[in-house]
Amino acid sequence: MISKTAIEHLQQRLGTANVAFEKEDLLVLGYDSTPGVHHLPEVAVYPTSSEGVLAAMEIARSEGLPIVPRGSGTGLSGGSVPVKGGMVICLNRMNRILEIDEENLAATCEAGVITLDLFNATAAKGLFYPPDPGSQKISTLGGNVMEDAGGLRGLKYGVTRDYVMALQCVLPDGSLLTTGGKSVKDVAGYSFKDLLVGSEGTLGIITAVTVKLIPPPQARRTFLAYFDDIRTAGEAVSKIIAAKIIPSTMEIMDRATINCVEDYVRIGLPRQMAALLLIEVDGHPAQVEEEAAGVEKILKAVKAAEIHVAKDAEEAGQLAAARRTALSALARVSPTTLLEDATVPRSMLAETFAEIERLTAKYQLKVGTFGHAGDGNLHPTVLCDERNQEEMARAHAFYDDLYTQVLAWGGTVSGEHGIGLAKKEYLARQIGAGGVKVMRRIKDAFDPAGILNPGKIFDEHDPCTQTHVEEGFRVSH
Amino acid sequence: MYRTKEKLGNFTAEDAPQYEDVLQCMRCGFCLPTCPTFALTGRERSSPRGRVALARAVAEQKLEFTEAVKEEAFFCLDCRACTTACPSGVRAGEVMEVCRSQSHQQLPPPHLGKSFRAFILQRMLPDPDLLEKSMLPARLYQRLGIQWLVRHSKALKLGPAWMEKVEGMLPQLAAPLRPQLPELIPARGEKRGKVGFFLGCVMTLLYPGVSRQSVRVLAHQGFDVLTPQATRCCGAPHLSEGDRQTARELALFNLELFLRQDVDYIVTDCAGCGASLKEYEEILEGLAEHDRLAAFRAKIRDVSEFLAEVGLRTAGLTAVAKTVTYHEPCHLCHAQGISRQPRELLRRIPGVELREMAEASWCCGSAATWGLKFSAASQQVLDRKLNNVSQTGADILVTANPGCQLQLAWGVRQAGLKQEVLHLMELLGAATPE
Repeated sequence: MISKTAIEHLQQRLGTANVAFEKEDLLVLGYDSTPGVHHLPEVAVYPTSSEGVLAAMEIARSEGLPIVPRGSGTGLSGGSVPVKGGMVICLNRMNRILEIDEENLAATCEAGVITLDLFNATAAKGLFYPPDPGSQKISTLGGNVMEDAGGLRGLKYGVTRDYVMALQCVLPDGSLLTTGGKSVKDVAGYSFKDLLVGSEGTLGIITAVTVKLIPPPQARRTFLAYFDDIRTAGEAVSKIIAAKIIPSTMEIMDRATINCVEDYVRIGLPRQMAALLLIEVDGHPAQVEEEAAGVEKILKAVKAAEIHVAKDAEEAGQLAAARRTALSALARVSPTTLLEDATVPRSMLAETFAEIERLTAKYQLKVGTFGHAGDGNLHPTVLCDERNQEEMARAHAFYDDLYTQVLAWGGTVSGEHGIGLAKKEYLARQIGAGGVKVMRRIKDAFDPAGILNPGKIFDEHDPCTQTHVEEGFRVSH
Repeated sequence: MYRTKEKLGNFTAEDAPQYEDVLQCMRCGFCLPTCPTFALTGRERSSPRGRVALARAVAEQKLEFTEAVKEEAFFCLDCRACTTACPSGVRAGEVMEVCRSQSHQQLPPPHLGKSFRAFILQRMLPDPDLLEKSMLPARLYQRLGIQWLVRHSKALKLGPAWMEKVEGMLPQLAAPLRPQLPELIPARGEKRGKVGFFLGCVMTLLYPGVSRQSVRVLAHQGFDVLTPQATRCCGAPHLSEGDRQTARELALFNLELFLRQDVDYIVTDCAGCGASLKEYEEILEGLAEHDRLAAFRAKIRDVSEFLAEVGLRTAGLTAVAKTVTYHEPCHLCHAQGISRQPRELLRRIPGVELREMAEASWCCGSAATWGLKFSAASQQVLDRKLNNVSQTGADILVTANPGCQLQLAWGVRQAGLKQEVLHLMELLGAATPE
């Protein structure tokens, strides 16, 4: 239980308006977008500077409170859920874009800047920040970095990790670490920056980020291709990649998703189709021309039911926006949407769809599948009701089988959402007990007291590493 | 939805949210960037997602119906921007409307406030005659020059802040429209049909000139216009204040009144009334026959929606050579989904040049009595709007709801902006020959 003095202390250091301890304030910080998890913190703070984060860290440490950093709470693996109570540090009031450096093609922001705001600010200067998680209108840059968020352009442009140049980070020992810089090349020692990206708030709290910017593509073309069979869509994706064409986007939605999205956006998506692919090629106009022709040729060869080219940028934007609503739109069907983040080598896409279909029938579930087909990152989503224990057990068995297969194909249990709470058991299966053990040693090096976001990625005391003979860890893909 | 149900968690049985409606929220946060109160505070509990989570906690008995829940229910603008933004179809605004009703049951205000509220909601608003008489002092106040005196003496600085704002917002009052308006105005030119006109309380009392233009435009467009004198308040203020019982009584009265008339459509020029009329089907569920509710619902149109649907006859319209920007009333764009039609009409008025403002569908901060209860917050929301208005450099700021018009006209005056603030029907009226 947090002491009254500690709260007064926090109020003095951060300002009364930036400290919340009423139940109603805490109740609404006990969740993120992950279904079925809700744990209340004891106190929440809203620092407005790194000094504020340092102060909060210092007070939490002296009180022995666990600390959980939080952006907009759009995470999908429970990374910002305060499972052990303690203090939630909300970073959304640190939302200034500090610098857009056109000479070095870099931008520096506070952690709470909304991803789309950074995108717009850099676009206004003729620059391009490519990572675009589905939640770009809401999610914060700090959250993107912590979860190594992906997005719709991940296929060609990569994920958040590929754009982080430098980080400012408050470490659990109370020090402020700056790692990386604006130099394009930097091999001085261990790459802390790379360790921190995707660390899900377990190693340090990011207060500022410097990201790499690139020149925007001069031209783009957007297609919608419809399919009578989702496996054909998977085949089309594999063939496009095999033809050495890398579109910026290749997104898929199955029939259930198409229908839910159409219920919301009402832009005339064909409800009877088994699947659609949203494909965008971009780059130099001549290259776009050539790649678009190649894509069309493959779509026709695999017998796509229909191919539609977006008539202008507005329509293309509308289609991408519609795709971004997929997960939330699926929530129209059922109270609980249990989404996964299975990622497979791209040559295995058609097989993955077939496997999802087989398991859907086996476990008698309603499943909507959508995702980033181009990078093999699918989000099969079980549409269920968390009040129905028996159905939840079937959903769990569904994922269990699916991940067994995905791992056998050399895939991964998380493409972009992180491990958090939701996938701890699967992580151990992917990287082995030895892998988990090394991760825990790294965690101990940064956070010996174990106060930063405890219980995430791996359990604090994982029985499996104590009782089993250490396995070698598998090379990750 | 939300009629008397069995008891849900720590809600009382009467007018409680339904569990399914709060469970529907999957917490994706798509609503966050659209919520004006979240933009003001950055506090999760003042966001739609947070508010629904509070309601869910009450439903799941993790929380009593506390003062803070009540506070959030009333701090919500009920602008419904989150409803537009929510892919899952959660209606956080309506959940908060119901929570307002819960707050009167669970945390009633002190006696004096309670009787004042009851007098306004249950005596005055349902009675058009009484309502019209009540405006007499205000008109005398303006006519006899007392207003001039009060404003120049700064006497209002002595009273509560909302009083000064109310006084400042009052437009130049004319006699109420209802008793003057002929029940039937015949169509001009080639007749296209017969419409019932739903004359709202604020329109007849504060903006009689606007509705006068609306019925004139409708007649000029070829429609017989029938305005039943007996029309009562639509019930929107009651829903907004959490008095769902009186809202239902008024709804039943208006439903029966209008279903008795031989009209093809029921048209209103008040976005608040339109939204409320379109929701009769839900608040009267189980209290009136389903077919009658559906028939009524099918006839309701906002005037801009109606004219766009039947097609505006532009022959004979005179040019209005002005630049115009359009502020979307929340109860038009978010509650009724009408966004394209007013713009379509504006573009069809000869001479008018439409200049879009940024964030046209962001609330102006009026929101029924919200602007008076939270005057400082309201000012911040209004400033954001006025900044977007002034960036357009347009001559005229057009809107389509009396609440917005009062707030914007006041805001423009206070900020010393040049824009004239008009209802869409006033502009269309100016282009329509006598």
